Amino acid sequence: MLQLLADGLVVGSVIALGAVGLTLTYSILRFANFGQGEFLTWGAYLAVTALGFVVAVTGGGVMQPIGPFSFGWELLVAMVIAAALTAGLALLVDWLLFQRLRARGAAITLVIASFGAALALRNLLQFLYGTLPEYYTREIQIAIRLVPRDVLGGLRITPDQLLVIGMTGAVVLGLHLLLTRTTLGRAMRATAMNPALARVAGVDVAAVIRATWIIGAALAAVAGVFAGLVGQIRPGLGFELLLPLFAAAILGGIGSVWGAVLGGFIVGLAESFSVPIFGAEYRAATAFLVLIAILLLRPNGLFGEKP
Amino acid sequence: MTPALELSSIEGGYEPGLPILRGASLAVAPGEIVALLGPNGAGKSTLVKAAAGLVPIWSGQVFLNGRDITRTPAHRMVQEGLGFVPQTENIFANLSVLENLQLAAALVPKDRRGELSKMFALFPDLERLRKLPAGRLSGGQRQMLAVARALVASPSVLMLDEPSAGLSPKLIGVVFERLQAVREAGVTILLVEQNVKAALAIADRAAVLVEGRERLVGAAADLAQDPRLAGLYLGAGLEAA
Amino acid sequence: MELLAYGSFFLCFASIFAVMALGLNLQWGFAGLFNVGVAGFVAIGAYASALLTTSLGWPVALGWIGAMAAAGIAAFIVGLAALRLREDYLAITTFGIAVVIQLVALNAQALTGGPFGIQSIPKPLSAWLGAGLAWNLAYLALVLGVVGLAWWGLERLVAGPWGRVLRAIREDEAAAASLGKPARRYRLQAFVLGCMLMGLGGALYAHFVGYIAPEDFLPVLTFQVWAMLIVGGSGRNLGAVAGAVLVWGIWTVSGGLLRDLLPQAEQARGAALQVVLIGVLIAAILVARPRGLFGERATVSRHAAEDAT
Ligand SMILES: Nc1ncnc2c1ncn2[C@@H]1O[C@H](COP(=O)(O)OP(=O)(O)OP(=O)(O)O)[C@@H](O)[C@H]1O
Ligand SMILES: [Mg+2]
Repeated sequence: MLQLLADGLVVGSVIALGAVGLTLTYSILRFANFGQGEFLTWGAYLAVTALGFVVAVTGGGVMQPIGPFSFGWELLVAMVIAAALTAGLALLVDWLLFQRLRARGAAITLVIASFGAALALRNLLQFLYGTLPEYYTREIQIAIRLVPRDVLGGLRITPDQLLVIGMTGAVVLGLHLLLTRTTLGRAMRATAMNPALARVAGVDVAAVIRATWIIGAALAAVAGVFAGLVGQIRPGLGFELLLPLFAAAILGGIGSVWGAVLGGFIVGLAESFSVPIFGAEYRAATAFLVLIAILLLRPNGLFGEKP
Repeated sequence: MTPALELSSIEGGYEPGLPILRGASLAVAPGEIVALLGPNGAGKSTLVKAAAGLVPIWSGQVFLNGRDITRTPAHRMVQEGLGFVPQTENIFANLSVLENLQLAAALVPKDRRGELSKMFALFPDLERLRKLPAGRLSGGQRQMLAVARALVASPSVLMLDEPSAGLSPKLIGVVFERLQAVREAGVTILLVEQNVKAALAIADRAAVLVEGRERLVGAAADLAQDPRLAGLYLGAGLEAA
Repeated sequence: MELLAYGSFFLCFASIFAVMALGLNLQWGFAGLFNVGVAGFVAIGAYASALLTTSLGWPVALGWIGAMAAAGIAAFIVGLAALRLREDYLAITTFGIAVVIQLVALNAQALTGGPFGIQSIPKPLSAWLGAGLAWNLAYLALVLGVVGLAWWGLERLVAGPWGRVLRAIREDEAAAASLGKPARRYRLQAFVLGCMLMGLGGALYAHFVGYIAPEDFLPVLTFQVWAMLIVGGSGRNLGAVAGAVLVWGIWTVSGGLLRDLLPQAEQARGAALQVVLIGVLIAAILVARPRGLFGERATVSRHAAEDAT
């Protein structure tokens, strides 16, 4: 029971981070980006490459784990590099594809274009890295027993998993402060609400769009690294998370950061609690059920501001 | 004297081949209030939106204090000193009242950045409501916030699109009285209005736009007496139907 | 002779894709609905017909009708939930249904055969024609007949009052609603009808190949059908059919080339590269030639719609 809760929170963290990025791009760029899942995958793989590079450059060629964790500081550096590169990738795709379609006012075509871009990105990655799973570290971690077995089935969790939950909280809090306390954040929210009025008020909407891609893709990359840290890094990593991401973003209400976080944890928990009921193989279908339920019951989501 | 705002033979519209503005011209002298009148669908909103950079201008020019700003992107207009309050959806409903003003202030260079305290002095209601999401404001309060949002960028010219729409006569009086105060502070005003009487009462001059062109331009006091004014509204109404 | 065999084989696939592309064209080209779960509805049709004709021993013709019915019912449920709000929610929901169907196909071993799929799906008329070229040609004729029938039916539907309302809705929902036509019902009808054609396409595929497995209905299938419609040009049935032939041609030729050029060990990567190339092709056409090769020429502008009222 408790164990399912903990597992759900770990998966929920990854979903929450990815969904926050998705909800931002959805509300500001005004289209459902099917490529968001691929940014997770690219982030995870770029971190593999960056990690190899950092470890090689800093000499020794081995990563010394810090404290109870399975990885060293090199992975954190690699994560930052991967986030920056993924942001660059998002800007490149926007410049090559989305920006041109936006300029023509063909907003609905963007969804299909993003679907095509997602497939191309996923397969390009597969072409570059192959299909074998990768890992950041081969260290075996000892799970800590937080709750003894006789209390609600007990609870064991690895330090890495705890860190993922904690860092997700920190990243989301940082984003919240950015959106509410800075001019850029307010400009982003203003653009989401009404782009024409934002321009009249002096917002450089093109710059806001760039910032949105950067933030959304960087969050996706961090989510991807987290997913890789607590699991495997595979080319299908992001694709398999795409439906949960959408379910979480819609559940929370498009544009709402805390909604996406809450949605992410709800979807993560729903997935993990569904396992004993439907079996692990149908885990991915849970997100779909959540999605259908929310569309039927409360299509604007929990915190949706407008239809 | 160079006009504060000059629109010269503007042609433009939303879609190529479907002109809404057909050579509209208008000049507003510094410190003046000019009312832009005209029947529904004449293109009044389109004209001010075009001046603000939101609607493509195919030919013609816009001058702000003698400088050609025809091709200036919309978000740069504020920095140039042109303020605009759109007809509808003129506040950020998802931002608080305070955030609406903070954002607008932060987007202009320091020397243009108005003091929020001055805005609150002009619109005392807003100070009381500053924590509220702007979407929860009443119609009159929204209009005040929209004007304050534009003013906080210290425009030299302010264009307002039907600020009286949907307000009670009493509130219209309040809004127009504030506009008078704004003008006295040295801001030039171009006021689009359906409410002909109220507009002519505070305007110095007025122009009537019909089918994308100005038809009748003159002192507000003269226009108020002019029998052709009603004719333009009626005539255009018949033609359009 | 070999050329004829190969040609009929190729054209058979292309025509099966054409049926799916016609269905998608009805949804996207005429109703402006984006279905990102094409593969899912194709799978429903394929599995439905395969199961009905193998497990229950129904005749193939009934299997095909069953395929259309199953896909139509699934589409009705999805459409009911997803067509209520923003149009891109339909994209997300259809994407989701494709994922779920893929899961069911993989894991509901008892029903779908799991990863091994369903074998020995009956090939109609093979009792008389054998399994060789004669059968291929006969099946091609049959599929071409289906394409012709679907085309003819769609042309009639779209040219009639139903199609006019549909296009008006696509151009301007507000204007269409003011016409007094409940827009949602028309879109749901178009969505269901389009998915039925995809289901039929799936059934045609199943009975042509003779066996199906979950991996036949991956997202790349959705992507291929979209590529066909976009390259051919949406809004015209000619575009859908021509696009199917063209893209399937590009797909087989590029696949063959990559197979010949790359060493055995690199084949998987070659397949990935092929998808990248087609992805770039779609994107390039969307940017450079949004109407495709044979797309709808004159769109009804919103103002024309307004004038009509
Ligand atoms: N976003 C738009 N896209 C296309 N056409 C538009 C758009 N907005 C307005 N129009 C058209 O432009 C014409 C002029 O509209 P405009 O809003 O400028 O008139 P107006 O004089 O402001 O009228 P009102 O007094 O009703 O506000 C109308 O025919 C209208 O249908
Ligand atoms: Mg107007």
